[in-house]
Amino acid sequence: MSLAAMTLAAERSPPQRIAAKRWARWARPALGLVLPVILAATWEFVVRMGWSSGRLAPPPSVILATFVDLARTGELQRNTLVTLARVAAGFAVGVVVATALGAATGYFPTLRRLLDPSLQALRAIPSIAWVPLFILWLGIFEASKVTLIAVGVFFPVYLGLMGAIQSVDRKLVEVGRTFRLSDLGMVRRILLPAVLPAYVISLRSGLGLGWMFVVAAELMGASEGLGYLLIDGQQLGKPAEIVAAIVAFAIVGKTTDWLIALTAAPFLRWEDVVRQT
Amino acid sequence: MLILDRVNKTYPNGVQALGGVTLEVALGEIVAVIGGSGCGKSTLLRAISGLDPATEGVIALDGESIKAPHEKIGIIFQEPRLLPWLKVADNVGFGLGDRPKSERRQRVAAALNRVGLADKAAMWPRELSGGQAQRVAIARALVPRPEVLLLDEPFSALDAFTRADLQDHLLDLWADAKPTLILVTHDVDEAIVLADRVLVMRPRPGRIFAEVEVDLPRPRDRQSAAFDFVKRRLLVALDRSLERTAASDTEIKAEAGAALWW
Repeated sequence: MSLAAMTLAAERSPPQRIAAKRWARWARPALGLVLPVILAATWEFVVRMGWSSGRLAPPPSVILATFVDLARTGELQRNTLVTLARVAAGFAVGVVVATALGAATGYFPTLRRLLDPSLQALRAIPSIAWVPLFILWLGIFEASKVTLIAVGVFFPVYLGLMGAIQSVDRKLVEVGRTFRLSDLGMVRRILLPAVLPAYVISLRSGLGLGWMFVVAAELMGASEGLGYLLIDGQQLGKPAEIVAAIVAFAIVGKTTDWLIALTAAPFLRWEDVVRQT
Repeated sequence: MLILDRVNKTYPNGVQALGGVTLEVALGEIVAVIGGSGCGKSTLLRAISGLDPATEGVIALDGESIKAPHEKIGIIFQEPRLLPWLKVADNVGFGLGDRPKSERRQRVAAALNRVGLADKAAMWPRELSGGQAQRVAIARALVPRPEVLLLDEPFSALDAFTRADLQDHLLDLWADAKPTLILVTHDVDEAIVLADRVLVMRPRPGRIFAEVEVDLPRPRDRQSAAFDFVKRRLLVALDRSLERTAASDTEIKAEAGAALWW
C-alpha cells in the first residue's frame, strides 16, 4: 500500500469510529433503562385501554402529574426540605460522635477494650427498637427523630473508621517513624490519608442508613416531611402521592450520596482502582 | 563512625534474636551482611535504625547512642513503601517536611534527576514499575543526606536485570556523598559487587560468624576470576554458618578460617 493510500484509509475511518464510540457512550447506560421504560409504558397502556382502573397502582402519567402538582404548590419542596434538614442534623451528630469514638478506639487499644464491647452490644439492638424510649425521653418532635437518625448513622461510620485505623499498613507507619514524625505529624501525614477511602465509604453507608431511619421516624408521627406525605397518601387513599414521595426520596438520597462522593473524589484520586465506565 | 558493642536483642516472647554483636563501621564504608534466614540480619539492621532498639549493649553513631530513629540514619526496605496518596515528587521530599518550600523543591528535583526519574515527578506511585518505585525510595532516603544508609534486601523483589542495574546505580549515588552503607542481602553476588566487607551471620542467637574482605577495584566484574575467588570463600563461610552441628563456635570458626586460607 502506498503512503498516500494509507493516509486516505486512515482519514476515512475516524469519523465512523468516533460516531460508534459516541453511540456506545450513550447506549451502554441506556441499556439499564430499557426494562423500567417497557414496564412503565405497558402499565400506562393497560390503564389507558381501561383494562385496569389504576386506582391503587397509578400509571406513570398520573404519578408525574401528582409530582408536578405537589411541586407547583410548593408542598413537595417544603416537605423535602424538612426531611433533608432532619437527615442533615442526624447525620452531622452521628458522624461527629462516630468519628470521635472510632478514631479514639482505633488509635488507643485500651480505649477499644473499654468501649468497643458496650458499643457492639448496643449495635446488636435493632435501632428502631429505641423509638418508644426516645419518644418518652425526648418527646415526639424533632429531638427524638434526629436522635434516631444519628444512631443509624453512627454505627457504620464508627465501625468503618475504627477498622480502617486498625488496618493501616504497619509498613507505611514505619516510614513515618523513620522520618521521625511527631504524633500529630503521623496522624496528619500517614493515618488520615490512609484511612480516608474507607472513611468515605463508611460515610456513604451511614448516610444511606440516615435516609432509611428518617422514613421510620416520620412514619411514626410527623406533621411534615416526605415521610408525612407517605402517611398522608395512605390515609387519604392517594397512591400517586405515595409514589411521588418515594421518587423524591430516591432523587434526594442519590443526590446527597453523590455529593459526598464528589467532595471526596479529589482526595482519592491516588487510589489504584478500576475506573468505572 | 558507627559502633556496636555487645548488642543483644531479646523479643518479649523470650526468643534471643541477637547475641553479642560487636562491630565497627567507618564513615563511607560499605558493609554487606549475609546469612541464612532467621540469622538475625534484619533484626540487626532494625536495631541500628532505631526502629526496634537493642535490649542490651550499645549502638552509637559518632558517640551518640541510637535508641530511636535518627536523622543521620536512613533506611531502604525490601519494598519501596511509597505513600500511595503522594505524587512521586512529594514522596521524595517526605523527609524534608521542616525545610522551606523552595529548598525542598530544588532538592527533590535534583534527587529525581539523579535517579533518572525527573519525568515521573508528577506521577502517582501506582503508575511506576517495581524498579522505578525502588529508585524513588532510594531518592527519598538520600534526600535528607544521611550519614548512614541501611538497606534491607533492597533489590530482592526485582528481576535480575533491574537488580544489576540498580546495584550499579546505588554505587553511583553512593559516590556523591559517600555515606556509610550497611546492606542486608541473601544474594552473595550482590554482596561482593557492592561491599568492602561482607559479614556472615549465624543464627540462634544471631551473631557475626565470619568476615570476608572484598579487596577488588570498582567497578567490579562479576565474571572475573578474582570475583569468583572471593565468592568461593564467602560460600564456604556461608556453608559453615548454616551447619547445625554441636561443635562450638570457635571450632567452626577455626575450620572456616582454614578454609578461608585455602
